Amino acid sequence: MKKYYQISGQISEFSDLPFWKKADVVDLVYVGYGLLIVALVVVSYILGSVNLLPRDPQDIDLQLIMAPPGTAGRLLGTDFMGRDILSRLIVGIQAYFLPGLLAILIALCFGTGFGVLVGYRGEKFDTGITYFTNLVDSFPRLVLILLVIAAFKPDIYYIMLVVGFTNVPVVASLVKGKIQFLKQKNFIEADIALGLPTRIIIFRHILWHHCRSLLIIQATLGMAEAILIETSLSYLGFGVQEPTPSWGNMVQSGANYFMQGKFWPSTAPALAILFTILAFHLLGDGLNNILEDKRST
Amino acid sequence: MKFSAIRPIALVLSRELVITVLLLLGVSFVVFIILFASPGDPFSVLLEGQLSTAEAKAGLRDAMGVPRSWYVQYLAWLAGMLSGNFGTSIRMGLPVLPEVLRVGFSTLILTIGSLIITLLIAVPIALYSALRGTNKISWPLTMSSYVISALPVFWLGYIVIYFFTHKLGLFPIAFGFSSAGQKYRWLYQLLPIFVLGVGNGTISEVIRYLRQEMGRVMAEDYIRTARAKGASVWKHAFKEGLLIPVTEIIASKIPFILGGAVIVEQVFNWPGMGRMAWQAAQDRDYPVIMGIAILAAVFVRMGSLFQRVVYVAVNPRASKE
Amino acid sequence: MTTAPILKIEDLRTYFYSRSKQAFIRSVDGVSLEIAKGETLGVVGESGSGKSVTALSILGLISVGPGVISGKIGFHSDRIQKDLLQDLGDFVKLTTRAGKVMEVTKDVVGWERNTERVMSKVRGKEIAMTFQNPKSSLNPFTSVGKQITEAIRLHTAMKIEREAKERALTWLDRVKIDSPRLRFDNYPYGLSGGMCQRAMIAVALASEPSLLIADEPTTGLDATIQSKIVDLLVELKSELGITTMLISHDISIISRLSESVAVMYGGTVFEYGPAKHILSAGFESKHPYTSALLASIPSAQNIREKGYLPAIEGDVLDTINIPEGCRFYSRCNQVTEKIREKCARQEPDLRQIESGHKVRCWLYFD
Repeated sequence: MKKYYQISGQISEFSDLPFWKKADVVDLVYVGYGLLIVALVVVSYILGSVNLLPRDPQDIDLQLIMAPPGTAGRLLGTDFMGRDILSRLIVGIQAYFLPGLLAILIALCFGTGFGVLVGYRGEKFDTGITYFTNLVDSFPRLVLILLVIAAFKPDIYYIMLVVGFTNVPVVASLVKGKIQFLKQKNFIEADIALGLPTRIIIFRHILWHHCRSLLIIQATLGMAEAILIETSLSYLGFGVQEPTPSWGNMVQSGANYFMQGKFWPSTAPALAILFTILAFHLLGDGLNNILEDKRST
Repeated sequence: MKFSAIRPIALVLSRELVITVLLLLGVSFVVFIILFASPGDPFSVLLEGQLSTAEAKAGLRDAMGVPRSWYVQYLAWLAGMLSGNFGTSIRMGLPVLPEVLRVGFSTLILTIGSLIITLLIAVPIALYSALRGTNKISWPLTMSSYVISALPVFWLGYIVIYFFTHKLGLFPIAFGFSSAGQKYRWLYQLLPIFVLGVGNGTISEVIRYLRQEMGRVMAEDYIRTARAKGASVWKHAFKEGLLIPVTEIIASKIPFILGGAVIVEQVFNWPGMGRMAWQAAQDRDYPVIMGIAILAAVFVRMGSLFQRVVYVAVNPRASKE
Repeated sequence: MTTAPILKIEDLRTYFYSRSKQAFIRSVDGVSLEIAKGETLGVVGESGSGKSVTALSILGLISVGPGVISGKIGFHSDRIQKDLLQDLGDFVKLTTRAGKVMEVTKDVVGWERNTERVMSKVRGKEIAMTFQNPKSSLNPFTSVGKQITEAIRLHTAMKIEREAKERALTWLDRVKIDSPRLRFDNYPYGLSGGMCQRAMIAVALASEPSLLIADEPTTGLDATIQSKIVDLLVELKSELGITTMLISHDISIISRLSESVAVMYGGTVFEYGPAKHILSAGFESKHPYTSALLASIPSAQNIREKGYLPAIEGDVLDTINIPEGCRFYSRCNQVTEKIREKCARQEPDLRQIESGHKVRCWLYFD
């Protein structure tokens, strides 16, 4: 059953509702949830970097091994060495936050740079960009990273550098595609005919008006990917090493205790990964739908 | 497909093959550059490994002249590779190529199996969502698949193993089971395929893409014409709405799945190229890791080629491009 | 009418919904018309008058928004007689205020299913439709010939591929496509716009329908091709005598092909009657809109008489904000003081002024 109702009174030609009335409830929920988690992550990052934690994440308390959440003030319980899980989770964010931002920054900056260059000026570079995109896409991310680790060292910043660069062709293709679309619709020609300076055409019209939703999505996807890679690498033993916590190595070391029926030390960080990655995906989806006036339903 | 269509298709495909070769060359070059830039001259090690032990012992390397420029090294290595010589594993002392192919086959099984599972789950959900829109059935299904997709695949693997071994009381001892559990051994082999198919995040990507494409096709004019003449909409929408997008998303997700395989092979101790790559990264076993990187790229390009074949076969316009 | 008309639309309303304005887009807002067997009805109107939406509503092809919300579409052919919108009331509930629909509650999924059930026997077999963009309206992945044989095998007695192909070739020939055997295997991208339109006409006619709806068959084609298509339609009309609903904003092709004409504006029919009366310069068409429309057509006579092309003042009706009273009031140049009040306040209904000729205008009733 769908219900449609009309507001009474005169409807002006340009009456457009503000986005919170227009947008689909589901999208607003997605964005709300996403922003909430992002806020939590940022706050946790700050807390972690100034060491303002509920408890010392390295503090071993053998009396309190694998205590359920809520025991003795440990909000999320303790792990197999009695260490406070909540504090460890907060510190774990340090492992991926800045590196992830680095990856996003590289991908977006170089990506839009190349994309604008090729889209705006260089049709001849099109084949080149396509070739590079396909080239980069031929590698599974993790295999490429293992290669880099073998050649250099398992430094998360090196790795995020690589991740960032592997995303550059993707962003460049998207931006280039958008520009080609605008060219086809003669938007750009119209702008030039109006005498607008190139700077304004590129920055305000193309990038801000037309590309912002795709760039936002790439940023959110980029962070989600960074989290996935960092946690996978720590799980594999290449990232942050024990006893420093990372969500990945927390899952890994906690898994040994499944056999004892103790799931929580491994599941708590797994849930953290789940909710955070989900948050970034949903944030991207929701923002895209709101900005582009689409519905997810 | 008409016979007259075969020649232009063959032309397009030979062009695709040339592109594939060029890309693989590019891949080998990238791999080379990374190793070359690494501190510690891995290349000598690599090239040495390509020589048989007798020659190496005879110090043939010095006889060949040192230092050599990078492009000569690259060409020498490439020549070796093309003749099937991928060097020798540092750790195992075995020639790399046969080993990598062996584990590559193992991973291939894992990859294809997981793809089947992913498609079995994702395609119905995507089609239902595209045709019926969001409703009480499609939304929970889509949401739960998104959530499951966002679960870290290593954790999922552990949980699955736990349930399988503990609840069913079967303990694998490095693939040798107790006699009671022998019959469940094949089932245990399926677990990593299941985990990779469900937990890697591929499902949510596939659903998103297929739903978007099918939705786009359903809004096309020619579907409206088909409906207006009382024809089966499905028959008309299938090619552009399902067949092509499915092959596209498969081809584009193969690298993604291979990455997941690295982790899943770790969890399940599956003897595939992912696990070998991990081991090689730990040991700095350059020949092995490079061989794996190249093999992985070969898999990806094969998938891409397959997708192009299907596209050209289905789309009458493609052969003219 | 001595026999029942093939198609009789009564007070059809098809609405869409604008989420950002939270208002209805009243594309078809009370359309009534009839088509007698064997005749061609020309539906004229500007873009946005609701002509295409009317056609889509007949075939149940509206898939967005509330869609069809009220009305009756009586279809009476040799084989089938039914109201194509039967049971609509079961799925829709309307809330009106001062005669204007303010709220619609509709079981969209249920109605869709019902439509599929009702229309499955009608689409193609009884009513066939051609569309405005011939190139994009044909399946790009199937050969043109196969699309015709599909129609033949679905709706005629010829189920075998070979028979159907032979028949399809005759149709290709009939729509004047050269080298039918060669063209049979061509794909739409290899055909020009004019040829695609001919092919679409072949697809529609090949299923031997009782009613053909042609939506803007010449729009979008080059001017020379346009006249060729019209020639084809004239020929087919005399050959086959098929009942047609011809939709166009091009009055010249309407006048060449139609016996009856319906003039649409802002979602309703303003004038309906024999083409001789409405379109020819000798008789005066009754509705101010129609006369203004005819006067604004570039023709030697018009220009000779006036020296310039008289345009209709004002803007096209906004189908979201439909004013009280007559829809044309703000642009009408024949309003007299006597009826000004009425024109501004009350919408006239469609009333008969002479046999077979109906008008929606206060000038003719008091």
